[in-house]
Amino acid sequence: MAKDFWAKHENLYYALTNKKVLFGLSIVILVFLLAAFGPLLTRYEYDEYAGQGYLPPSSEHFFGTTIDGKDVFTRTVHGLRSTLLVGAIAGTIATLIGCIIGFVAGYYGGTIFDELLMMLTNIFVVIPQLALLIVIAAFLEVRGTFVMAVIVASTAWPWTARAVRSQTLSLKNQEYVSLSKISSISVGRILREDIASNMFSYVFMVFIQQFNGTMLATVQLEFLGLGPTKGISLGLVMQNAVNWNGIQLGMWWWAIIPGLILAILITALYFVNTGLDAAFNPRLREM
Amino acid sequence: MGKYLRKKLMIYIITFILAVTINFIIPRMMPGDPIQSLLSRFSGMEGGRQILEEQLTLLFNLDQPVWQQYLNFWKSVFTLDFGISIIQFPTPVIDIIKRAIVYDLSVLFPAIILSWIVGNKLGAYSGTDKKVDNASMPFFYFLASSPYFWMAGLVAFFFGVVLQWFPISGAYSAVASPALSWNFIKNFLHHWFLPFFTMFLVQLGGWAIGMRNMIMYEKSSNYSKYMETLGSSKKLIRKYGFRNGVLPQVTGLALRIGRIVGGAITVQVVFNYPGLGRMLLDAVQNQDYFLMQGIFLTIVTMVLVANFVVDIVYMFIDPRVRLSFTEEV
Amino acid sequence: MINVGKKVLILTLAFLFLVGGMSLAQDLPREETLVVSGAMWGPPSTWNILIPNPTPGTGGLVYETMFSYNPLDNTYTPWLAKSGEWVSENEYVLNLREGINWTDGEEFNAEDVVFTYEIAKENSIMYSPVWKWLQSVEAEGDYTVRFTFSEPHYAEWNAELYERYIIPEHIWSDIPSGELITRTMKDPVGTGPYTAREVGQDRMVWERNDNWWGNDVFGQPKPKYLVDLVNQSNNVVMGMLMKGELDLSNNFIPGVQKIKDQFGLKTWYEEEPYMLSWNTANLYMNTTRKPMGDVNFRRAMAFMVNKESIVERVYGGLVKAANPTGLFGEGWLKYLDEEVVDEYGFEYNTTKAKALLNDAGYVDADGDGWRDMPNGDPLELSIIVPSGWTDWMSAVRVIAQNAEEIGVNIKPNFPDSSLFDNKRFNKDFDMLIANFQTTLSSTPFDYWNGVANENIDGKTISNGNWGAYDNPELFELIDEFNMTRNETRKQEIASKIQRILLKDMPTVPLWHNGLWAQQTTNNWTNWPSEDKPYGVPVTWGNAYQLGMIDTLIGIKPAK
Repeated sequence: MAKDFWAKHENLYYALTNKKVLFGLSIVILVFLLAAFGPLLTRYEYDEYAGQGYLPPSSEHFFGTTIDGKDVFTRTVHGLRSTLLVGAIAGTIATLIGCIIGFVAGYYGGTIFDELLMMLTNIFVVIPQLALLIVIAAFLEVRGTFVMAVIVASTAWPWTARAVRSQTLSLKNQEYVSLSKISSISVGRILREDIASNMFSYVFMVFIQQFNGTMLATVQLEFLGLGPTKGISLGLVMQNAVNWNGIQLGMWWWAIIPGLILAILITALYFVNTGLDAAFNPRLREM
Repeated sequence: MGKYLRKKLMIYIITFILAVTINFIIPRMMPGDPIQSLLSRFSGMEGGRQILEEQLTLLFNLDQPVWQQYLNFWKSVFTLDFGISIIQFPTPVIDIIKRAIVYDLSVLFPAIILSWIVGNKLGAYSGTDKKVDNASMPFFYFLASSPYFWMAGLVAFFFGVVLQWFPISGAYSAVASPALSWNFIKNFLHHWFLPFFTMFLVQLGGWAIGMRNMIMYEKSSNYSKYMETLGSSKKLIRKYGFRNGVLPQVTGLALRIGRIVGGAITVQVVFNYPGLGRMLLDAVQNQDYFLMQGIFLTIVTMVLVANFVVDIVYMFIDPRVRLSFTEEV
Repeated sequence: MINVGKKVLILTLAFLFLVGGMSLAQDLPREETLVVSGAMWGPPSTWNILIPNPTPGTGGLVYETMFSYNPLDNTYTPWLAKSGEWVSENEYVLNLREGINWTDGEEFNAEDVVFTYEIAKENSIMYSPVWKWLQSVEAEGDYTVRFTFSEPHYAEWNAELYERYIIPEHIWSDIPSGELITRTMKDPVGTGPYTAREVGQDRMVWERNDNWWGNDVFGQPKPKYLVDLVNQSNNVVMGMLMKGELDLSNNFIPGVQKIKDQFGLKTWYEEEPYMLSWNTANLYMNTTRKPMGDVNFRRAMAFMVNKESIVERVYGGLVKAANPTGLFGEGWLKYLDEEVVDEYGFEYNTTKAKALLNDAGYVDADGDGWRDMPNGDPLELSIIVPSGWTDWMSAVRVIAQNAEEIGVNIKPNFPDSSLFDNKRFNKDFDMLIANFQTTLSSTPFDYWNGVANENIDGKTISNGNWGAYDNPELFELIDEFNMTRNETRKQEIASKIQRILLKDMPTVPLWHNGLWAQQTTNNWTNWPSEDKPYGVPVTWGNAYQLGMIDTLIGIKPAK
């Protein structure tokens, strides 16, 4: 029974046994656990004056304290939550938009419709994302989590659209689709069975890429002071560290560690993505 | 070929129009009365009132119909008259931009080019040698995953604070004056290195990964397998694979320029490097609308020009485009 | 590929050199240069001494005053003047030093002083209002000037003596009236110890005047060059201080007290409050609105605010809590009446605050947890400070929290700076914090005038007393103080004034903003401090003559 299951979903099998995927996934899960349960591990509030300032990591303060005595670990895990949330929502929105546009453009590839959509996509690709985000975010008085996610997603989707479109295009021209077309199977069923099922793994990988991108864009905005107006975020923790001369003062636990967690998370996701690429793509499997 | 260029140009022109329009719309959509607030800020400065009236007539003349204001706005764009800055009153915005752009270009130009070249070479090497690949891939992933400003902090901490080899703030030191002297050049380069190095490192990872993936794809292609059976050297296979793999990397460069510029902004903040990026942030935080609009437009234009240059380069290296076999770019 | 890269690199660098600015200036010798920051918020653009804020240093380094004032011991030092005295109730005679030359070689004499005042009579410039009580200025010989007053304002005249910069008649008389304040007056000609050397986008460079008359009288300033840098963000300034790249910083650097020992930074006091006090931050209440018009409410506010909390948590001890009268500094404290303070003063006391409110009828009528007006209407107030002034923003949050603890609903609000000014000038606020008219000076008249100015009838208020507090008796007393010379009488009036202010509490003095100053000793040592108070290290505009020149003379190179 199990064998049948794996035989039908051989992609999944390869995915879950790939070393890279396992390695990356375990780190990702760890980080998510940290974000979810981290705040329970600490007895401080993120804005509370938890002790003496300028303390390096210890059993009292896992990541040390900031210059005015706030606990860095608490700030990091709370900030991680916020940043991950915005990144995830933004990534989802961006993937959705990108998929729809890319899908449609790819399916109607070559027509004027496709041309227009691609023109739109290219325009959004060319506009310098952060500059535009800065200008927009600056004009919003209050920025909540959702608003931020929408802003970030609005400049992130073009990448997905292009990728999905080219994948759709190549699939469209595959023999089995042409076969289905000749057999006059309905467009909807073609889309569902032939194209979408093959796209799923691809879209999943695209989503991971998107998530990486939106998290980076989010944390950059936060670092520049344009993050959510209330609460704390990872970028804000790092901004404080830079603004209060954490670097010059040698406070590596404050200036380096929070960002390191994010970098590790994104690296791990990269690993997962590469592993999945190999799993889903037989041509790469021997690597 | 012509069609290819024409399409690209159209995209860029539309984007430019969009950017100018965004600049036009935003102050008018602001809650409250940004023009009143501008007036009151300028009136506090010496001679401010008359300068302001001139600027307002130029850019905001509210008794005229909107379409006329829009046309006037375009006129000011083409005459490069972006108004007067508030935070550096009474310097005209265009002067501030002219001064700051040097610092952006001096870091971005070498960083983009060098990281692209070195990254692609390293990636190609990695793609053909499994041992190297296993060792270096995690490293490249890590570089590519690092937020620019975090890498800047890391680099600043290590090279600036621990080793004390480089300064970590400013474009040149307080007692130096810009001049054609060797002293000043040394000073400038000393401050320039870490921002450059940061931009270089992060991008390096991205290119290496991209090229490595391309090479691997090419390796499993027919011509590659054929060469292998013929007993060609790894180096030769790599060379051919590279030639094919480089194409998407050039496209990738065009796609990424927007992101790279964004990263540069945050790096400038960390190193207090007086480029356009940091000035944009200052302008936003101080609600210096004229400066903000001027810089935004400049950044967009720079990116558009860079994209166009890359497109032309691509045209020359991809024979398919030259011969219009496909529009798939 | 690599060759292309190299070529591009070389071209790029060449391009940079061409564009990077090609003045022929050389690097300045570090051991003869004093690098300062903290005074300039934008690039230097005007050196016209007739406007309120020319490039800092124009006044003091280039143009000089008749006397200099030492705020530490409340004494006047004859500067351009040799001596001055009141020869009658309304006549003041000034004797000038001889042998002083302008930097263009012309002789300095009484003509210049007379011209400096006449020009204010014939044109409308910032100190023209002095002619409301000054009747005539006449030169009597080359080095004597007689001032005759229609109404002698002794306190304000004392301020004139050290605030008014004397300008050269032979240069300014050629300027047409319409251009008097719009000319930039680049390369200003003065009598002072420095001249303008170089102007940069981010700095102003001054060079020592080796022909300065003061070299023989007071001593020669040690730095040959003075580089004043435009202000950067806090962390950048901190970074420069940590590396010794800045010698003197007059920036407000939160957290500096934590790192000063580690990096060898010097401040005036070794311990709290580290800095000298510079002005008084007052909580102004708009008396034209309810319930701020009610004196009991205002007094309750005074007992409600926890000043110590602001001093410690917001400023980390870098400022000093204000005494209930708001007075500080030697010149003002001379008139402090301790008894009045004991009797009518206030301190942080929530019980007293609640009692005051309860007795005046501000109780929670509808049970929502907030106090209401005596007539039952809800009580909701807002307190504003400019957005971006992070320390004030934090202070205001503390106040709002204090208010919540006794049940008063005050919400902090942070309008943009120009909007804040707008509201301030137009009585369009409930409460705000301001310190603009209460700066250290030689006479408490300035403080009282700033807090209870009588010009409240116009559409806009521009001189202080933002809350339009109206008390004709007080206004008269303040004027009388200004026009009295008899010390005993002045003390009496001062006591009365303080009593009225404490009883009526139009504003609540909160804390004193500091004369922010931190120095490094990598290049210059012997900075003035609590132990060596021979000068005052302040480079802010129009403050050089309060002790910075003495500092420049007194510091020593580190080697």
